[in-house]
Amino acid sequence: MVVVGVYDTPMVNNAEEILPKYWYNIIPDLPKPLPPPRDPLGAEFSRIDLLRTILPKEVLRQQLTIERYIKIPDEVRERYLAIGRPTPLLRAKRLEEYLGTPAKIYFKYEGATPTGSHKINTALPQAYFAREEGIEHVVTETGAGQWGTATALAATMYGMKSTVFMVKVSYEQKPMRKSIMQLYGGEVYPSPTDLTEFGKKVKKENPNHPGSLGVAMSEAIEYALDHHLKYLVGSVLDVVILHQSVIGQETIAQLDELGEEPDVLIGCVGGGSNFGGFSFPFIGNGRGKKYIAVASAEIPKFSTGEYKYDFPDSAGLLPLVKMITMGNSYVPPPIYAGGLRYHGAAPSLSLLMKEGIVGWREYNENQIFEAAQMFMRTQGIVPAPESSHAIRAVIEEALEAKRANRKEVIVFNLSGHGLLDLPNYDSMMRRVTSNEQR
Amino acid sequence: MSRDKMLVVYMTLGYPDNERYLEFMEEAVKNGADILEIGIPPKYAKYDGPVIRKSYEKVAGKFDLWSFLPETRKVIGETKAVALTYLEDWASELDDFLYKLKGAGLDGVLFPDLLIDFVDDYRAYSSRVREKGLSNVIFTAPSVPDRMIMQVSRQSDLFLYYGVRPTTGIPLPITVSSLVTRVRNLVDNKLVVGFGLSDENDLRKALKAGADGAAIGTAFIQAIDNGGVKQAVDLVIKLRSILDEF
Repeated sequence: MVVVGVYDTPMVNNAEEILPKYWYNIIPDLPKPLPPPRDPLGAEFSRIDLLRTILPKEVLRQQLTIERYIKIPDEVRERYLAIGRPTPLLRAKRLEEYLGTPAKIYFKYEGATPTGSHKINTALPQAYFAREEGIEHVVTETGAGQWGTATALAATMYGMKSTVFMVKVSYEQKPMRKSIMQLYGGEVYPSPTDLTEFGKKVKKENPNHPGSLGVAMSEAIEYALDHHLKYLVGSVLDVVILHQSVIGQETIAQLDELGEEPDVLIGCVGGGSNFGGFSFPFIGNGRGKKYIAVASAEIPKFSTGEYKYDFPDSAGLLPLVKMITMGNSYVPPPIYAGGLRYHGAAPSLSLLMKEGIVGWREYNENQIFEAAQMFMRTQGIVPAPESSHAIRAVIEEALEAKRANRKEVIVFNLSGHGLLDLPNYDSMMRRVTSNEQR
Repeated sequence: MSRDKMLVVYMTLGYPDNERYLEFMEEAVKNGADILEIGIPPKYAKYDGPVIRKSYEKVAGKFDLWSFLPETRKVIGETKAVALTYLEDWASELDDFLYKLKGAGLDGVLFPDLLIDFVDDYRAYSSRVREKGLSNVIFTAPSVPDRMIMQVSRQSDLFLYYGVRPTTGIPLPITVSSLVTRVRNLVDNKLVVGFGLSDENDLRKALKAGADGAAIGTAFIQAIDNGGVKQAVDLVIKLRSILDEF
């Protein structure tokens, strides 16, 4: 084993072999049928039909042509290699030592991509398919800014313009995110805006609306419709999780090289694409014993959400899908982890949770801050606050293994780095410290 | 003439009116329909597309179900006829419903919501359909996992219905051949592909990939709307000839 810095890391010297040639779709391997999208009762227009106008055709085709494996176009595979895929699978040895656990902890480091998160894995193919169709301008929304950054870069790489509706609270908390999107060539607006009817309506009802992913998504879709642009999807849809399956497939290949068999797989959930992309190839292929999805206790969708048909966006422009949801009119509080501020969870993930195959945890700010800091101080990496939710669950699992003296293998997805989230960590530090002093 | 490929013709009961509905059904059988699917308007056609939904709205309240349904049998002779309706509307009085269907001369029933909203109890419902002397036709889709497609294939009597698009009548982009190839080897009985196969290319691709037949609905409704019963019957003739190429 090669030792680099503070990690014991398997070097990625056979990138071509580790990077998969196919994306993996879990739907044929689910325990039950995935309930189909549908139009609401008495609908005056078909939202399913509207998808044809909104999405690049090939993206919609991949969403609907459900096959277990779909070939990754060579042009996309080349770009994956160019941005540094496969990302490293690292062992958190110092964290293990700090915890004194007999468990081995590995993490897939998606923060190692140029945009700093897993989001580029689907931005590239979606932008590629849009460009192939002759599209010149794409539009999307972003919460924490990771997806908008990935879209801005992918669009530029394929010679297209991009417009990004960024949730207002994140826009204000993280001005550097806006800067990086603009540097990549994106056009960024704080949502709710006055550029769309829905944005105006939301602002009229609540002039201090902090924005939410659902609202920004609605604005992006309306803007795409009005300006005849194509919309790129950041999470929730099956096609996004399909593209993200490169994460889990690479991880399987990297663990196989090490001769490790994973016991526990952990990831955080905003809409579910990083968790799904990471864990579905394991679940579908019968690898691993326990799968844990982690959300924020401030947006308690797993403990209080219902499994029902709901709109993925606030305005109800997209078809109804069956998912765990807090309701599409829910306004999430303006927490430190913008990527988790979403009312629902991807339909495929919701089904797996409903069937008891994927378990869940929810953690609050104090718990997250403590975990993030422990990880920073032992491993040196500043995790995105979203990813710190997964780290908290990893720490608890590792301590449980210590109590039971179990030599298990815990693998988690470190979905992004937090170097552009430092203002959030700053404010968290102030709040957590003042809580401790009380 | 022996035919290798099945043509399943759908029409909403009483569309566009009682007289023309019966005329179409009679002509469909004469011109090559192997099985008829009769849509009974549901309260909420949640898994149907806009064209079929509108057809339900148009006929709602225009006939008494149990006195009009038997009229179909009089014009279609021995041809198999299957009712298509949502289990959600009938689950609470299922035995009575099935008994009346049988009495009205129907051969089987297809519930599009069976594997979606009643998936945990689909075996029990299928058994009750058979106990009443009716055939089950089970509706599956690409979103049904492989293992379940294999299981329900055995429970489905006349054929297994495989709807390749998530809703009817919207030309959503899909790769038909990949979708059919995926399930072909999982299905022991007849595999009939539907949902937007009126496009000739899609139809040929489905048949080439091993489908045993096609179920067509929206296209007949649109044909009736555009050119009356004659145009719809011409479409039956055309589809029959495409199926007979295989």
